[in-house]
Formats: sequence, C-alpha cells, structure tokens
Amino acid sequence: MKQAIEQTLKESIARQKMLAVEDISLDSSLEELEISSLDAISLVFDIEDQYGVEVPNDELKKLRTVGDIVDGVHQLLGART
Amino acid sequence: MNQPVAITGLGCISGLGCGVANNWTAVAAGNSGINPLSGFAETDLKVASGAQVPDYLPETHFKPNQLGLLDRHSQFALIAALEAVEDAGLTSPELTTSAAIIGTGCGGKETDELTYQKLYRDQKNRVHPFTIPRGMPSAASSQVSMELGIQGPCFTLSSACASSNHAVIQAVLMIRAGIVDVALAGGADAPFTYGLLKSWEALRVLSPDTCRPFSEDRKGLVLGEGAGMVVLESMAHARRRGARIHALISGIGMSADASHITDPSSEGAARAMRAALQDASLAPQDISYINAHGTGTRQNDPSETAAIRQVFGNHADNLRVSSSKSMHGHALGAAGAMELVITVRSLQEGLIPPTANFTAAGEGCDLDYVANKSVELNYQAALSNSFAFGGLNAVLAVKRAP
Repeated sequence: MKQAIEQTLKESIARQKMLAVEDISLDSSLEELEISSLDAISLVFDIEDQYGVEVPNDELKKLRTVGDIVDGVHQLLGART
Repeated sequence: MNQPVAITGLGCISGLGCGVANNWTAVAAGNSGINPLSGFAETDLKVASGAQVPDYLPETHFKPNQLGLLDRHSQFALIAALEAVEDAGLTSPELTTSAAIIGTGCGGKETDELTYQKLYRDQKNRVHPFTIPRGMPSAASSQVSMELGIQGPCFTLSSACASSNHAVIQAVLMIRAGIVDVALAGGADAPFTYGLLKSWEALRVLSPDTCRPFSEDRKGLVLGEGAGMVVLESMAHARRRGARIHALISGIGMSADASHITDPSSEGAARAMRAALQDASLAPQDISYINAHGTGTRQNDPSETAAIRQVFGNHADNLRVSSSKSMHGHALGAAGAMELVITVRSLQEGLIPPTANFTAAGEGCDLDYVANKSVELNYQAALSNSFAFGGLNAVLAVKRAP
C-alpha cells in the first residue's frame, strides 16, 4: 500500500512540476521541488480523492518531504482500518 | 484638447480564430464565425448556435501544469495579451512598470459551474483546492500580470457588455494622468457553460440561428467567446522607443442610462458618444465609421440608431455603421476590445467591415449598415460603441495614426 501511495504522489508531483518521476525521491524536500503551499494542498487533494482520506490542516503544515506525505496518508489509512 | 494615447499592440482570439490576422481577414471578407453550438449535444438547451473559438485546444497554448489554474477566460486573456505585447515589441523592463486592466462580464464561471456540478449534481463533498484562485473574477488579471511580469496597477473591471471598453478607458485615463506610460487593456469572457446558456435563454434574447444586427428579421444576439487586448502608451513613450503606432485613442466617453436593467436608452448612449467626441475635440462630421454595439436584439438596434441620429444629425446619413458581432458574436466583456482591434485594423486598411447576415433594414434602423460586403474608404476617425445591460455605456473615439 505504501508503495502505491508513493507512486501516486510521485506521478502527481511529476505532472504538476513537469519533472520525471525518477527525479523525485522520498527524501526530496517540497522546498527543493519548488512545491508551494498551494501546490502541496493540490497534491494532497489528489491523494485524498484517490484513497478516501482527509489530511487535517494541522498535519498539512508539518509536511516537509515527499516521504512525510506518504507516511501521513499511510497512517491515516491504517487508523481507518 | 486631451492628449491622445497611442495604440501600439493588438491581440485577439474569437469565434473567428486565433490572432489578429485571422480575425481581420474573416471580418474584412464578411465571414461569420457563428456556427452550430458544439459541446452541448446531451443537454436540453434550446440555443443552437454560438461563436466558439474554432478548433480550440488549451494544450496547444499552455503547459499541463499551467492549465490547472487557468479558467477558460483566463486562457483567452493570456493568449490575446501575449499577442498584443509581442506585436508592440515591448520588453520586460517596460512591462515591469506597466498597468494591466482587464474587463470581464462573467469571470471564472466555467470553474464555478464545474464546482457546483460536483457538489450539487454529483453529490461530491469536496472541491478542488484551485477553485478559488482559478475562478475568482480577477483571475485573468493576475495570470496576465504573472506571465508578463507586469508590476504596476493591475485589476479587473466589470460592466457587463461594456467591460472591455471601460477597461480601455481606465487605462487611457491612467496614462493621461501620468500614473503609467504603458498599459495593457482589454477583456476576456468564456460564456459557453450550461448554466450561463440556460440563463441567457431565460432572458429570451438569444437568436435561434444567426445574428442579424439592424435587419428586420433579426431574432436576437448570438453569444461569442474569446479576448481582445491592446497595448496603450503615452505618445511620448511610444515615440521615444520608436514604436509602431497603429492608431490613437483620441477620446473616451462614458455614461449611465439610470433607467432600466435591460432596456437601453438612446439618450444614455447619445450622451456617451457626445462625451467621446468632446473629449477628442472632434466634430460629428469628423467621424466616418461607427463600430456599433449592434447586438441584433429587438431593443438595441433601433435604440442605437436613434442615439446616432441624435448625436450626428444630418451627418448620420454619411456615416458607415456596422456590427462585427454579426461575425464574432457577442463576446460580452471581451466584445468592446475585439471591436476596438477591428476598428484599428479598419482605419489602417481603409476598409470598413460589413454587418454580416444582413437581409433588409428593420423598423427604426435607417442608417448605412454596410450590408454584407466591406467598403473601401480612407478615413480619419471612428467611434466604437459598447452599451451594457443595466445602462452602462462606454465609447471610444479612435483616430488614424499621425
């Protein structure tokens, strides 16, 4: 499941920032990928839609890397089951 | 006499195609861009025609990562703005201090409607995070400012079908006041959405087939979409940088009917035309051509004709008056700017564009409407009229470049 979330997120980032998926790693910071807060909200929205979860606003503020988003969504999914 | 302002760049996208050259070629030939409405086959709409931008594919103009934030009207605004700025040969240092004033009648209705469809029809409980920045009425101004690096006064202005004439006037006044030397001005609208079409239908002003301004058998207006943009500059600035001057805005006139929310008043229209002439220090006899508001509705055409007679007296019989809405449709907040672009090209080419689809003059319509075929005429000055619902009138006096 975690890998699927990672893949979905990387594809969304690649599409939005016109990058190759291979150029994005879990350690990539949102800042170095030039992901603004609006971009981040939009990326999270895509994932929320796909996985039927909702990332709370407080959690959203803590996201610094691609891995943070993957972990956060994974945790939310785990909490639900 | 008020200082004229130079028009140094033109941009246009409409039902007649993309680019000023395509638009002018079609208008000069009297070819109409009004076609059977596409994209609404599965709906219960009665309206059957529209002037939609032909073969428009957003992907050919914008990168995928841009489109998420671009409402259809913002896309049109950007396309026309980029053309106008390129045509003017402006570089980034000059753009930095310029203004951008953009008119729109509808704003981001496409975005709003898609959102409401999801919420109300599809029963979704959440909407895309870009909904506000994409759909806000001022979205096009912000997008144009960001794309071109315009950092001076920049805002959206809305006065229904007169929006872009009011935007041009605002820009002219800023240049005259010395607030800026250069301004991009115009308008954009994208009214082909289910909800807007239903709303226009309800008003019973839409023609079931085509748009025949000033004709006896006219049945109403036909909606259009797109954008028109012009680059305006102080004469001193244009001369200093050796810019090619297409034409001059020599006068501006504004008025409000203060009478009815949809029925036009010829007195209000006449006051706006008189104001434009006075502002330009032009006598009625100096005008040879009027690009009419000419919507093709029962109400507008005789009212506008009466207004022209009030202002021009006997000279009205010497005027050529045509409505290019017969070709690019009524593009609402973009219409005035498209018509300004056409008027400028007309002055440059010495060719008066026709009123297309004309059959026989309607009651109360007794001027020379340049029926169906353009007329060669070298002339010095024209008016371009916009008279909006709610009685908001804005008229531009345009003169040949010196």
